[in-house]
Amino acid sequence: MYKKTGKELNSLFLQKQISAEEIVAYFIKRIHAFEPSIQSLLSTLESRALEKARALDLKLSQNKPIGKLGAIPIILKDNMHMKGEKTTCASQFLKNYEAPFDATVTTLIEEADGIIIGKANMDEFAMGSSTENSSFKKSYNPWNLDYTPGGSSGGSAAAVAAMLAPISLGSDTGGSIRQPAAFCNLYGFKPTYGRVSRFGLVAFGSSLDQIGPFARSIEDIALMQEVIGGHCPYDSTSIPNSKEPYLNELETSIQGKVLGVPFSLLENIDEEIKNLFLDALEVYKSLGVKIVEINLDLIKYSIPTYYILATAEASTNLARFDGIRYGIRSPEAKTLEEIYEYSRGLGFGPEVKQRILLGTYVLSAGYQDAYYKKAQKVRSLIIRDYKHAFEHSDMIALPATPTTSFKLGSIQDPLKMYMQDIYTISANLAGVPALTLPIGFSASHLPVGMQLQGPLLKDARVLRFANHFAKATNFHQKLAPLFDKEAS
Amino acid sequence: MSHYEGYEPVIGLEIHAQLNTRSLMFGRAPNQFGDEPNVNLDFLNTGQPGALPVINKEAVKKAVFFGLAIEADINLISLFDRKSYFYPDCPLNFQITQFYKPIIVGGEITTEVEGETKLFRIHHAHLENDAGKLIHFPDFTGVDFNRSGAPLLEIVSEPCMHSPKDASAYAQAIKAILEYIDSSECNMQEGHFRMDANISVRKKGESGLRPKTEIKNMNSFFNMELAIESEIQRQIEFYENNPGKKLISGTYRFDLERRKTILMRSKESADDYRYFPEPDLPPLVLTKKFIEELREELPELPRAKFKRYVEVLGLSHYSADLLVNDKPLCKDFEEGLKIAKNPKAFCNWLTVEFIGLIKESGKTLKEIGIDTKQIAELANLVEEGVITGRIAKSVASDMLKSPGKPPALIVKENPDYQPLRDTSLIEEIVDRVLALNAPSIADYKNGRDKALQYLIGQVMKECKGKATPGLTRDILIKKIEAL
Repeated sequence: MYKKTGKELNSLFLQKQISAEEIVAYFIKRIHAFEPSIQSLLSTLESRALEKARALDLKLSQNKPIGKLGAIPIILKDNMHMKGEKTTCASQFLKNYEAPFDATVTTLIEEADGIIIGKANMDEFAMGSSTENSSFKKSYNPWNLDYTPGGSSGGSAAAVAAMLAPISLGSDTGGSIRQPAAFCNLYGFKPTYGRVSRFGLVAFGSSLDQIGPFARSIEDIALMQEVIGGHCPYDSTSIPNSKEPYLNELETSIQGKVLGVPFSLLENIDEEIKNLFLDALEVYKSLGVKIVEINLDLIKYSIPTYYILATAEASTNLARFDGIRYGIRSPEAKTLEEIYEYSRGLGFGPEVKQRILLGTYVLSAGYQDAYYKKAQKVRSLIIRDYKHAFEHSDMIALPATPTTSFKLGSIQDPLKMYMQDIYTISANLAGVPALTLPIGFSASHLPVGMQLQGPLLKDARVLRFANHFAKATNFHQKLAPLFDKEAS
Repeated sequence: MSHYEGYEPVIGLEIHAQLNTRSLMFGRAPNQFGDEPNVNLDFLNTGQPGALPVINKEAVKKAVFFGLAIEADINLISLFDRKSYFYPDCPLNFQITQFYKPIIVGGEITTEVEGETKLFRIHHAHLENDAGKLIHFPDFTGVDFNRSGAPLLEIVSEPCMHSPKDASAYAQAIKAILEYIDSSECNMQEGHFRMDANISVRKKGESGLRPKTEIKNMNSFFNMELAIESEIQRQIEFYENNPGKKLISGTYRFDLERRKTILMRSKESADDYRYFPEPDLPPLVLTKKFIEELREELPELPRAKFKRYVEVLGLSHYSADLLVNDKPLCKDFEEGLKIAKNPKAFCNWLTVEFIGLIKESGKTLKEIGIDTKQIAELANLVEEGVITGRIAKSVASDMLKSPGKPPALIVKENPDYQPLRDTSLIEEIVDRVLALNAPSIADYKNGRDKALQYLIGQVMKECKGKATPGLTRDILIKKIEAL
């Protein structure tokens, strides 16, 4: 059953071949069996999930209408609120913080009868590319336990790659869904900015953050987007009239469409990844897609631009963690200044502190023009370049990452770590929808992904391009061998 | 302004007006504050992670109303910014305000300052959210977040005022507008209307501005006048005692008891608020149609009312100014106006006689239980010649003693209040008065009207005000001419 996609599980449930309770119990058993070796979750919602499952079974037996996600087990990254459950953001600061309300995605999933069974590990406050910045534990890549599942949504990716659930949600500020998806042989989708409500998502970089799904099938990605991709009145950046027919459009032909590729950006990339990427382009050619070269050279500046804008926003978003109202408060603190200083000193890890300092610096009087305002200008230019690129192409193809997954602990230099996001960040800066899809494996049997980036609001088109590729290839069907077995 | 000895004060005001919307500026909790701390909370005004701001459209509407009332430019696109500072009353540790592009730009108001009509200019007005309140106890400090997130309109004037009276007249005119357009309750005790004054002085004729100081958080016009006056004197003294030296800019508060401004912090330790665009809020976009629809809804504004009172009703500038700046009183006046036979006379009875009588009690007419319509009835009794003005004054006192009793009834029940209608009795008194005042008769015959007034006064005195002035006058003239 672990091989089934979310959609397939839902069908079995609707046909009454298996109950929701059996599905949930089955995956919880897998969590008990495999979680110790991959460490992908920060909490398992066993009793809550089983209770929901039993209620859903009753609902089905009474022939009441069942939502689109009926009986599908789902895992949330631990920066999304579920009322009454912990939201830790993998930070010591919030280790005991109980969410006072449901995130919009939580509400939508539960209204659609999806069953949330756990909350996933992540880099603290989503800052990182390997999940090593979690203050609780390291997660391991199901394809090779010495390697990272990527980050910051590493737990969400590892859990789906180990088949602890067919679908999970991550958040993507600079590549935090797409890079782990590439490392774990998954689809990982960052929708158009404003497509999925951020209400109840603990903010990192508000103008860049976007929630999106991980899955082993493009249909499951489309299914999730049908449920969570709608307008939300509680998020002012949410796009009005935001629904797209994701599932219906999957099969529409892409013959004759134009795929733009910024070939000049492929120079400094692993030869293996480059070759697999070029092979993937051949697949598209065979599907009748025309390949053209486009210019996105400004992507070279996307990393400094991103680390100015994202940290500027983060420095204020994280200002609320002050030890006054919730979270940890240092028992040593005697004065107001000490409450701030000691509590934040105690509660935040080194990467978070570094980014708060950087963000505060780039906004400071005397430096704002040189950093923050200049970065805003570069962002506008990148947006302009994307606009131009889409005048000549229907879709853009890019590698997802410059390397395959790397060994845990092997990257210590933060700047080298930041390079992980070189191909992903620009989609966040421009707000465009972007998807990682599996395109093969390295000689050392590590997954390789590529990225499709579509025009603003053309999320369904991105999924359609991926679906045609999936039908012509079988990379996405390959399962992590260590977990391609029943829990004993 | 002579007492500033060759100096000219320059004053600008920042007014924080709390808008009377149903919910908060960016959150869902109700915009109302009981005495119990921390009862009106939502996810945003307690700074929960994952909470997001949503602009309150009602607050936007009220701000636009204000912009239209002062004939300002309304920005069709305005932006919100984060203003960062750490303080426990600020749950996000940043305030959401409009730093780079406010909703309202420019504008002006005209008002009366000590009998002179003056025009003051507004630089801009912007929307923002209020902070909570710290409550200090002997061994700890608590935070009440009830007020946190309440919508504020910050109205920033140009440095266009030159005396404490200017400042308070300007602020009162702003307050009146906010009340007329129903944008703020302006309850000053509850902090709905708070004023910061920026003050500098310079030598008369100097064109540039010298360093300024700021007095924060004043909520009484009277105290603000005192505070500004004392700060002006302090600065003049500084320049007189330290010729050529520069005043140190800083933030002050006013100590009412010592009648002195006290330094809170100097500008050298200036805060860096690190303003940048609020990424959780897209630009606030308004349409011309929306603005024009609101323009149609604008009620009569204080200045228009002032003009109507002066030009149509013939009220004095003083009375008209007093009425338009006091919305409840003005509303009562309008009620009485519906039945008043002589608006000007009614206005005098209301604003001079009755307001004078109740001044010491510190209460309003409404609180005492006097219906303004009854004041109009009283004025009409005089107007119709039923009673004399002198009797009416006594009736007014009686009305305050037994609130609600109609003046006509008070007159009817008191024999002393019956006017003298018997002409022969009046003639008798007139004869007596004329016999004693030969010089006045001569004066009158020489064309001096004042003499006649004097004689009327003498008759009134004799009859204890019971004869009507008109009748007395007629009899007097007839008798003098017959002499």
